[in-house]
Amino acid sequence: MNSPSPTPTRSFRRKLLFLGGLLLLWPLLRFLIHKVPKKPQIIEVSGTFQNKIFLAKQDFIVFQEDEQLWAVSRNCTHLGCRLNYIEKEKYLECPCHQSRFSRQGEVIRGPAAKPLPRYLVERTDTPSTYLVTMS
Amino acid sequence: MIAVKRITTFLATLRWGDWSLISLYVSLISGVVVGIHYSPAEPYYSASALDILVPYGSFFRSLHFYSSQFFFLFGVAHFLAVFNKSQSYSSKAYIYLIICFPCILMLLFTGYVLRADATGYSAGMIAEHILEAIPLFGPALNNILFSISTHGMDRVYLHHVISFDLLFLFLAWDHLRRYRVMLTDHLLFISLLLLFSLLVAAPIDPDQLGLLYITGPWFFLGLQELLRYLSPFVAGVLVPASLVTALVFLRQNHRWYRALLIFLCCWLGCYLILTMLALTAHG
Ligand code: FES
Repeated sequence: MNSPSPTPTRSFRRKLLFLGGLLLLWPLLRFLIHKVPKKPQIIEVSGTFQNKIFLAKQDFIVFQEDEQLWAVSRNCTHLGCRLNYIEKEKYLECPCHQSRFSRQGEVIRGPAAKPLPRYLVERTDTPSTYLVTMS
Repeated sequence: MIAVKRITTFLATLRWGDWSLISLYVSLISGVVVGIHYSPAEPYYSASALDILVPYGSFFRSLHFYSSQFFFLFGVAHFLAVFNKSQSYSSKAYIYLIICFPCILMLLFTGYVLRADATGYSAGMIAEHILEAIPLFGPALNNILFSISTHGMDRVYLHHVISFDLLFLFLAWDHLRRYRVMLTDHLLFISLLLLFSLLVAAPIDPDQLGLLYITGPWFFLGLQELLRYLSPFVAGVLVPASLVTALVFLRQNHRWYRALLIFLCCWLGCYLILTMLALTAHG
């Protein structure tokens, strides 16, 4: 037995529903791809600087030079591998495609194109303890 | 020439499909065992604790690792051996089986990532960046599949133990229903697999700062090398997708059959060269 053909009102409603669904796609997509910016994080780190120059942590490396302190991210700006500091050469190098960055975070060699994020570092009252603001 | 033909005929008679399926059984069972002591919240610690602290942990991790690798490798050999027969399958059945391969690779890949050692972590981050590079849907896709930098190993774990397994079962269900394999018929193969896992440890990088050269999982090496030269979207999405697409259309009655075959050979040849480069050129 054939199912009864939809009434004009029903088929109009179906079209309306379909169009509505289509219209919703855009806000849904925008919603899904939106990245909420990370809240600035203040991290307390402690430890001694190796050769009075650098202190490597999981996500960043703190450097000190002439009483100045700063930190750079350890996430390579090419595809995110974790960078190492090569002390002898005074640069950071990526183990995945060997991009190089200066201690200030500038690109020395690609494939990475963007510099590393730099973070503010402050001394605390406790010796060998620092506050790093990751933004 | 005759010798080559004989070898190929001999290889085609081997029971690759059976071995692949047995490896899958072992992989699934050993996966459950390994999962008892694995924690996605402490991925590296729990993975290395398996090797160092848990009695027989290293054996079970090896068994899970190698049975999974053999599952894939024997699966590929099986595909090559029965390729002619597969031509009688309907397009839908054939496409489902072809898509099984990227699905299995994702299972292997997420397994590597879950280890969270230097290799696993880097592979995960690279995958995350590749997904992010897909226009429009990339960030959403990454949010669903990996997003290691914000959610740690949670998503990867979920897909390794549930989603990709379900997808594989869905894709291969018909095929697996048709071809049954009895464990009792393969006692020698199972013993060899157990012995192999007992003797050869599954890889894991030591926890040290400053690993200078990371190569990644073996099947990822060529891609890892290609990412040096091409954008993540081209190297990580378009190039692998071209291989799967070519495989999907590789039917003997297709008018581009020869062209596709040549393309596939070139693709695999180039990938092999890239893999060699990754292993030798930058170390
Ligand atoms: S991820 Fe660092 S160079 Fe590619």
